[in-house]
Amino acid sequence: MKALAVVTGRGGLELLALGGASLSFTADVAQECAARGASPAYVWEDPLYERSGAEAGLRAIEAAVRAAGADVVVLAADARGRDWAPRLAARLGAGICTECTGVEVAGDGLRCQRPVYGGKATAVFELKTPVKVIGVRAGVLGEPAAGSGGGAPVALAVDTAGSERWPQRVEKVAEQSEGPSLQDAKVIVSGGRGLGGADNFAILKELADVLGAAVGASRAAVDEGWVPPSWQIGQTGKTVRPDLYIAVGISGASQHMAGVAAAKNIAAINTDKDAPIFEQARLGLVGDYREVLPPLIAACRELLGK
Amino acid sequence: MPPISTATRIIYWNIPGHGWMYAALVPVLALFFWGIWARVRRWFLGRGAPGEGAPRRHLRDALRLGLMQRLTLADRGPGLMHLAIYSGFITLFLGTVVVFINQDLSVKIMYGWFYLIFQSLILDIAGIVCLGGVVAALYRRLRVRPDRLKSGGFSDLALLWWLAAILVTGYLIEGMRILATNDPWGPWSPVGYAVARLGADLGLRPAAALIVHRVTWWFHMAIAFGFIAAIPYSKLFHMFAGPANIYWHTERPGGALPAADLEAEHLGTPDLAAFTWKALLDLDSCTECGRCQDACPAYAVGQPLSPKLVVLDLQGALDAEAPALPGFMQGMRLSPSARRADGHDGEVATEPLIGGTIREETLWSCTTCRACMEACPVLIEHIPLIVDMRRNLAMERGDMPEGMAAATMSIEERGHPWRGTTSSRTDWFADLGSAGPSRAEAGSTGVRVLGPGDEADVLFWVGCTGALDPRNQKVVKALARLMARAGLDFGVLGADEACTGDPARRMGNEYQFTMQAEQNVVTLGQRKFRRVVTACPHCMNTLKNEYRDFGGQYEVMHHSQLLAELLEEGKLPRTAAVQAAMGMEGAVSPRPSDFKVTFHDPCYLGRHNGVYEPPRAVVAAAGHSQVEMARSRNKSFCCGAGGGRVFQDERGSARINHARGRQARETGAACVATACPFCMIMMEDGAKAAAGDGAPQAVRDIAELLAEAVFGAEEA
Amino acid sequence: MHSVVCVKQVLDQDIPPRAFRVDRAARRPDVAGAPLVMSIFDGNALETALKLREAEGGGTVTALSIGPKGAEEVLRKALAVTADQAVLVAEGELDALDAAARAALIAAAVRKLSPAVDVVLCGRQAGDWESGQVGSMVAEALEWPCVTLVSHITPAAGGKVRLRREVEDGYEIVEAATPVVATVTNGEGNVLRLAKVRDVMMAHRKPITTHTAADLGVSGGAGGAALVDLFIPEKSSKCEFVDGKTAAEKATSLVRKLRELKVL
Repeated sequence: MKALAVVTGRGGLELLALGGASLSFTADVAQECAARGASPAYVWEDPLYERSGAEAGLRAIEAAVRAAGADVVVLAADARGRDWAPRLAARLGAGICTECTGVEVAGDGLRCQRPVYGGKATAVFELKTPVKVIGVRAGVLGEPAAGSGGGAPVALAVDTAGSERWPQRVEKVAEQSEGPSLQDAKVIVSGGRGLGGADNFAILKELADVLGAAVGASRAAVDEGWVPPSWQIGQTGKTVRPDLYIAVGISGASQHMAGVAAAKNIAAINTDKDAPIFEQARLGLVGDYREVLPPLIAACRELLGK
Repeated sequence: MPPISTATRIIYWNIPGHGWMYAALVPVLALFFWGIWARVRRWFLGRGAPGEGAPRRHLRDALRLGLMQRLTLADRGPGLMHLAIYSGFITLFLGTVVVFINQDLSVKIMYGWFYLIFQSLILDIAGIVCLGGVVAALYRRLRVRPDRLKSGGFSDLALLWWLAAILVTGYLIEGMRILATNDPWGPWSPVGYAVARLGADLGLRPAAALIVHRVTWWFHMAIAFGFIAAIPYSKLFHMFAGPANIYWHTERPGGALPAADLEAEHLGTPDLAAFTWKALLDLDSCTECGRCQDACPAYAVGQPLSPKLVVLDLQGALDAEAPALPGFMQGMRLSPSARRADGHDGEVATEPLIGGTIREETLWSCTTCRACMEACPVLIEHIPLIVDMRRNLAMERGDMPEGMAAATMSIEERGHPWRGTTSSRTDWFADLGSAGPSRAEAGSTGVRVLGPGDEADVLFWVGCTGALDPRNQKVVKALARLMARAGLDFGVLGADEACTGDPARRMGNEYQFTMQAEQNVVTLGQRKFRRVVTACPHCMNTLKNEYRDFGGQYEVMHHSQLLAELLEEGKLPRTAAVQAAMGMEGAVSPRPSDFKVTFHDPCYLGRHNGVYEPPRAVVAAAGHSQVEMARSRNKSFCCGAGGGRVFQDERGSARINHARGRQARETGAACVATACPFCMIMMEDGAKAAAGDGAPQAVRDIAELLAEAVFGAEEA
Repeated sequence: MHSVVCVKQVLDQDIPPRAFRVDRAARRPDVAGAPLVMSIFDGNALETALKLREAEGGGTVTALSIGPKGAEEVLRKALAVTADQAVLVAEGELDALDAAARAALIAAAVRKLSPAVDVVLCGRQAGDWESGQVGSMVAEALEWPCVTLVSHITPAAGGKVRLRREVEDGYEIVEAATPVVATVTNGEGNVLRLAKVRDVMMAHRKPITTHTAADLGVSGGAGGAALVDLFIPEKSSKCEFVDGKTAAEKATSLVRKLRELKVL
């Protein structure tokens, strides 16, 4: 089995866990892949990638698969990876499993595990086609292997004929909020009426920064004018689907829970042990967030090495 | 002193050419009757007609509420003020009738004791009473200036000054006559006599009094005639439209809404012609007293809704569309639209009714709590007016606030409005266990799910919020335990229960309500039961009062009524505290003695269905002393949830439940009790908001309080 | 422009977890009586197409679904929000088809439509299996370009369209020549509108064109990925409260538990 990992950024280095070749779109990421044993570590740097990332990247991956003779293409389950994986599978006639939360080699095939039905069930798919495409969620393949290779990145030749007809990005607007958006965030730290004031969201923000999380809020906090409406999660706010939802000072009214029904895990911090949020939370902490959050942030910092 | 039997006065004394008065009366009466006709005629722009006569009961209502002023007097001060003007005005009118009979019909009745007591003394007193009322009304408008009268403006004041002028000139005429004729019966008209004495003291000679008398007489007649002619063109018209509105008031059970015609050209009321004729009569009968506005919880917290302005703005639109006055006179009209339009009359006609005359936010702010209708002395039906306009938005335009739209979608897709709930309809009783398919054995705490063909004494209609909202699950669980404890044979519908359609109907989606009603009537028809019990006043109202139009006739009880009945029958024990009060030994109160409870009346239990005492009896049986909020029973202040508002997030400070939370807190009670799942959600939040940094009041359903008392005592 | 919106009927995504069961042997959910609804991102796609039609001041919106006869319900719902026509590709056992096979059916149905289709819109992922593959594969089957995570489409000069694409740190505007495939995510302003009651009533009277795989000339899928197991993941049904004497101990304990859950 020869894998090709498509690594678009440092966060994707864990995709190298299955060994084999890699493809990157910047020299320094390719360098990193090579350092971690990717062989060969292909690189294709081209303005077309910035302009028409979906089509250009796809052509490059196809070229890399051919060049490497790969039979498994490993992609990240992020915006780019989700874009490429199905189209690549169609082009290669490959079996595909996206959103993998577990991947194991089973003989010639791959057994991939992934959540379905909003995480209420887990499905296992077996891929037996000669070529396979998998989209893997972050953190599933474990820590990226330590550097062991040392080969230099190999420049890839990509046929970009017809690129003038590709959809083109003509404008890019970064929204003010730092960190991930609520809809995409894997971790969300969210505050409610229990926070008692706009200023207290600063400590939530601090926790969110450490976790790489987005900050959300319940209707109560928005109503009080502590945070802007775009932060609101719930029936009339955003519907979010994070892996972890940390609810601080949120009682868990139905209106709010409507927006977090798809959260895979809810951890709740609340002073009221009878708050309905605890009935839906996986983990509960009864206590005053003002006392709990500072040590919590410190512990997270230590754990994540930040 | 001449003999009593000769006592009288000469009509038209000192008024040569009084025949001209009769000539002037012709156009005045023409204008009067034409105006009445014009206003009555425009009611028939609306749909339907008062075909079948209203029941005799309505005549009684019209007499009791109109003639006897029963509802008007419900607001004591202004009620008495109105009674003064009203009774004075009527008495003086009767005096005029006496003159008419005596003079024009030549039936000589204005003599002797009758002349002295009625035509002199009583009329003089009536004038003073009326003037007193007018002065009080002017004082309220000019000095007290209550918020509810602020829309009154110029015409309101003009009418009062006008009436005052008629009264004062009347006394002046009388006084001058007494002075000039040295009337021996003068003291029988004490006010006129006082005017005469005052005139004499000021050195007014009889010859001068003759001139003053004659001039004033003509002036008095002119303004009195003008006043009569103005009646149909001003808010004075309420003296006819009000009783008419009471007579034709719609007969509907409890809080039932009138059905909408889904086959009509328009859904709901995009324009005035789509309203019923009775709704247009509603608009014309408004007295602008503002009691509805005073009672409105949405208005109280600053939301963009005043039931009074809804009525007056619609009335303005009606004036613009079908003017009661001929075009050349419209600049003179005194009706509210002239004020509203600030002189730009034309604009009223061109703007759309919904979104123009009445803002959409106004319509969506209504909680359908019925406080306005309860307060209205002439039985104007504000809720149907508002819901009819909502119907147009919801069904014809597909235009609803986000939260309400989401609830509507959820009802359509999953039969309940609580999208995102983490419970199924049967989760709440999972740990109570389930009972077998046969009648529940005594002592079983289990809950039986009734399938088609099953039978039970009581069908427990759980309601979506009771079954699916975590806080309210505790309530229905407590109720189920109590019913089991009382040995009731009860069952639930489980997954077969679906939203009654109450929120859909009140949010204006009659179509969805119809779907839900039809489905539920079929579901209920497949089971046998004696009566339905529900912990949700909204479900109760719909099942009891609205499903009959879909062929569903049930005996429906609210859980407060059931629990009160079970306590009464001794099937549930009264709490230890009550036993202690009754002199029983060894009783232990479940709560400290200073634990006071204040009961928040849910609108659909109280005002809409008249259930006030049973929930209080349950709280008492649970052993708690009670303290009432300033606004309770039929004057209760809504929690803010009704009419679909519970699904619509309220923003900013204008929140009804926070206001109610503060009112509850002001009682100093330790606990707010309620008996409605929506009230529970709202009051939990309201209590927290009202508490600020302090500890919030506990919010409990009456079933929880009773369960705590019953089981707490038994377990102890 | 002629837009085709692919709408899928799925098991209500909001079935509470406690009510959700699977038939492990048959490898499918076992929730009799649970509501079937339009997959939520398909609703966003439909709204996006309706908005495009409004922006253009004309055009056609076709709703297309693959599924059993009962899937007509989601097509009726699409008609109720004023989709112009509806097409059902009748397929009793939808779960037996993999994404590639579904994409082939959709592509074949799209080719049959007239006037020629300019934009195909699919929800970014279906609310049941959530694999997010079909839309992109439709693009491949039609050999059209594909723009993913779109929330808004407007017409642009030269027969092109401008697509707003939601990305991690904001959004980007992509210009594409038609025909093009877009997968749609939720964004501001593309929540599916409420149907007007008259339109709901009319929707029940509108015809639905029905195709079968055979008359589309599509044979069975490749079966590249085989579902071999479906189960409910173990979850502590009750909330686990972290212990600790002090706030700091509780905090540390919470972080440890989160680590164990692999969510940190």
